[in-house]
Amino acid sequence: MNTIEVRHLRRVYRTTIGVLRRQTKEVVAVDDISFDVRPGELFGLLGPNGAGKTTTVKMLTTLLIPTDGTARVLGYDVVKQAEAIRPRIGFIFGGERGLYWRLSGIDNLRYFASLYHVDPAVARERIPYLLELVGLADRGQEKFEGYSRGMKQRLHIARTLLHDPEVLFLDEPTIGLDPVGARELRLVIRNLQAENKTILLTTHYMFEADALCQRIAVIDHGRIVALDTPEGLKHHVQDLSVIELEVFGVPPEVLDRLRALSFVDTLSVENREQKQALLIHSPRGSEAVPDLLAALNGLRVGRVLVREPTLEDAYVRLVGGRA
Amino acid sequence: MRKLWLNLRLFLQGAILSYIALFRWLRPSAYLASKVFMPLNQILFFTFLGIYATGRDNASFYVIGNAVQMAAVSGIYGVTMSIGGDRWDGTLPYLFGTPANRMAMFLGRAFFHVLDGMLGVVLGLMWGVVLLGLDLSQTDPLALGLTVLLTTVSTSGLGLLMGCLSLITLNMMFVNNTVYFLLLVFCGANVPLAALPGWMRAVSRFLPLTRGIAAARQIIAGASLAEVAPLLAGELLIGLVYILLGYSLFRWFEFQAKRRGTLEAI
Amino acid sequence: MRSGELRKYGRVVAAAFEMSLRQMALDGFILFTVLVQPLIIALMALWMLRERGGDYAIFVVVGSGMTGLWSSLLFISGNSINWERWTGTLETLVGLPTPMPVIIFGKNLANVAQSLSSMMAGYFLAALLFGYPLRVEQPLLFLVSLAFTVVSFVSFGLIIAPVFVINPGVQGWQNAMEFPVYMLSGFLFPIALLPGWTTPLSYLLAPYWAARALHATSSGGATLAEVAFCWAMMLLFSLVYLFVSSRLFRLMIRKARADATLGMQ
Repeated sequence: MNTIEVRHLRRVYRTTIGVLRRQTKEVVAVDDISFDVRPGELFGLLGPNGAGKTTTVKMLTTLLIPTDGTARVLGYDVVKQAEAIRPRIGFIFGGERGLYWRLSGIDNLRYFASLYHVDPAVARERIPYLLELVGLADRGQEKFEGYSRGMKQRLHIARTLLHDPEVLFLDEPTIGLDPVGARELRLVIRNLQAENKTILLTTHYMFEADALCQRIAVIDHGRIVALDTPEGLKHHVQDLSVIELEVFGVPPEVLDRLRALSFVDTLSVENREQKQALLIHSPRGSEAVPDLLAALNGLRVGRVLVREPTLEDAYVRLVGGRA
Repeated sequence: MRKLWLNLRLFLQGAILSYIALFRWLRPSAYLASKVFMPLNQILFFTFLGIYATGRDNASFYVIGNAVQMAAVSGIYGVTMSIGGDRWDGTLPYLFGTPANRMAMFLGRAFFHVLDGMLGVVLGLMWGVVLLGLDLSQTDPLALGLTVLLTTVSTSGLGLLMGCLSLITLNMMFVNNTVYFLLLVFCGANVPLAALPGWMRAVSRFLPLTRGIAAARQIIAGASLAEVAPLLAGELLIGLVYILLGYSLFRWFEFQAKRRGTLEAI
Repeated sequence: MRSGELRKYGRVVAAAFEMSLRQMALDGFILFTVLVQPLIIALMALWMLRERGGDYAIFVVVGSGMTGLWSSLLFISGNSINWERWTGTLETLVGLPTPMPVIIFGKNLANVAQSLSSMMAGYFLAALLFGYPLRVEQPLLFLVSLAFTVVSFVSFGLIIAPVFVINPGVQGWQNAMEFPVYMLSGFLFPIALLPGWTTPLSYLLAPYWAARALHATSSGGATLAEVAFCWAMMLLFSLVYLFVSSRLFRLMIRKARADATLGMQ
């Protein structure tokens, strides 16, 4: 059974503008999306701001009722069986608010532990452990209002783990964190996945999705435009990988021979003073280099540069053209 | 001449702005509730309490006291917030950066609240007539009108001073509410001044509303304008003192902020 | 409800109670509503009623304490859910396995406890002014009446809070609901002073029965039958409030989830 099942989920917002003459405007935030998340998987929702990621997560965490379609978490319907889901999931939306500012970090955690029905004896042990985990062990006594942005985010993570949920929904968890803090947090997330938790992560950082997720759904304007492993997504844009071979005078027959190779899409030549640069597009990427060198058969080759497509390239191609 | 025109324009702009600001956070229904029903509530409550205390014959004592005290609503909540509002909007630096006449700016903030306050008092008195048998037959309307105007001006003066204070402190709503209620105690709206201990009577003398309420009671009982003139003069004087104090504080504040570079950091 | 669940809910109530006291104790608005306003009203009433003579001091203390209770209920308990929204914690609370009414119950209990302190403060103020400790005529009955008062007020708070969320416009009338209840409930003067047609309205207010019981047992001279009747009325109202509030909470959460207003400011 899939941990998360989404079928044709749709969410429309109705806003009214104006005071005297009211006009209703409909915004489709999520437009017919479907996907599954397998148990123990770290699944990513990648998309620009306003794509519908947060709206999707809110529907899955029973905070928002879909306009259409269904979603099931752990087999329970998110609308009709919300009470069964809530004890077993954790979610963070993060941000400056969301915790009680006049309470200390520890007191916030104690409060939420009782709200999550965590046994007091268990909470007593788990809270210090969680503070240690998110790197707030020595700041737990300070009031939340005094925390930096990054610290607040980390306390949110601690809060969401209090009741040891099996499914985690993390909405842009590293936003606002400095690079070191973000990296530490990603390590925490990876460790959580190693504990067999199912995690749905949303982000607009490509490298983050690439580094953490086993599968990624690219979402834009409320629709899923691609769903694949990071490698699979990069494959979409394999044609963007460029191999640059520096050579010193190559006769035209050799160029023709190279062009004729099956794995060579295009070959172009750039003249650079006394050298030439052969720019080759190949779906095999860097793997094509040995065979190319063999085809050059003894000719002197200087620098070899391979520019691999990144997830960003894939993302831009999938999302960028639709603005 | 041109300078006069400029200052007048500034005055009016400030006035309109402060009134719009009033409406921004008060929707029409809430404005209605506060202008019409809140005075009614307060007048009814204290009048009934007063009747319980001193009998039905003395009802008008409490009605007049609380009706005139309504001037404090716009004076304290309206005027104070319209000055304090600049701080929250972050517009103070821009204001202080202009060569505009400070006095015109300052007074413009209070202008519409004076009108608003007068409306409040009149509505309060009307409720008194309609519901509580207040008898206005002996009243000199000019005298009463003047009393209401001067009282509203002097409470607005207090509001201007408090508004400037609010630029410095943070917990302004607490202070506003407390001052409003303390005025009820000190200005003789519900407790005759004679019944207050000496030191409290002394404080009352330096507050707005005290003389205005006393004058209103006398006028409604039939006194002429001439008879209450000393009280009215005193009320006006108090008002002017507060306005001047407030203005000085306003200028001092601007000077300090510019000197210490704390204009935005307030 | 199984005993295990009851214990868990009890812990939640205790936690919400403690959190509320800590988070809100030093708030200026709360201090004013709970302490300053009732004390100033007490002061004025003490002066005004001096003319009446007699032993009116305890009457004023209890009455002004009740004004504090009611204002606190209206402005603070009434906002308890909206406050979570402004703090940004409402979404988290809705996503919890604990039903929200339990949390709000704990918060309201804290508010009522806080505002009872205003009654205590009034007591000390009056004692100070008069130079001798004031006497509660029937202390045991008074305490029982106080317990019923707490229950009925907390239950009523469970109605106002979701109503203020479902219909934010109603909140604009908060001010308009403050003094009328002071009057209709007979906090500081008997309702006999009011026109006869308002009496049925008074009977519909739980605060009226609370004030009646508390005044009767503190100023003395109440028969057990009379006071017990007040208790019965408060109990009845509490049950009605609790029943209606559970419906209201469900409606409110459903509406918030459909309209996406959980996270709004």
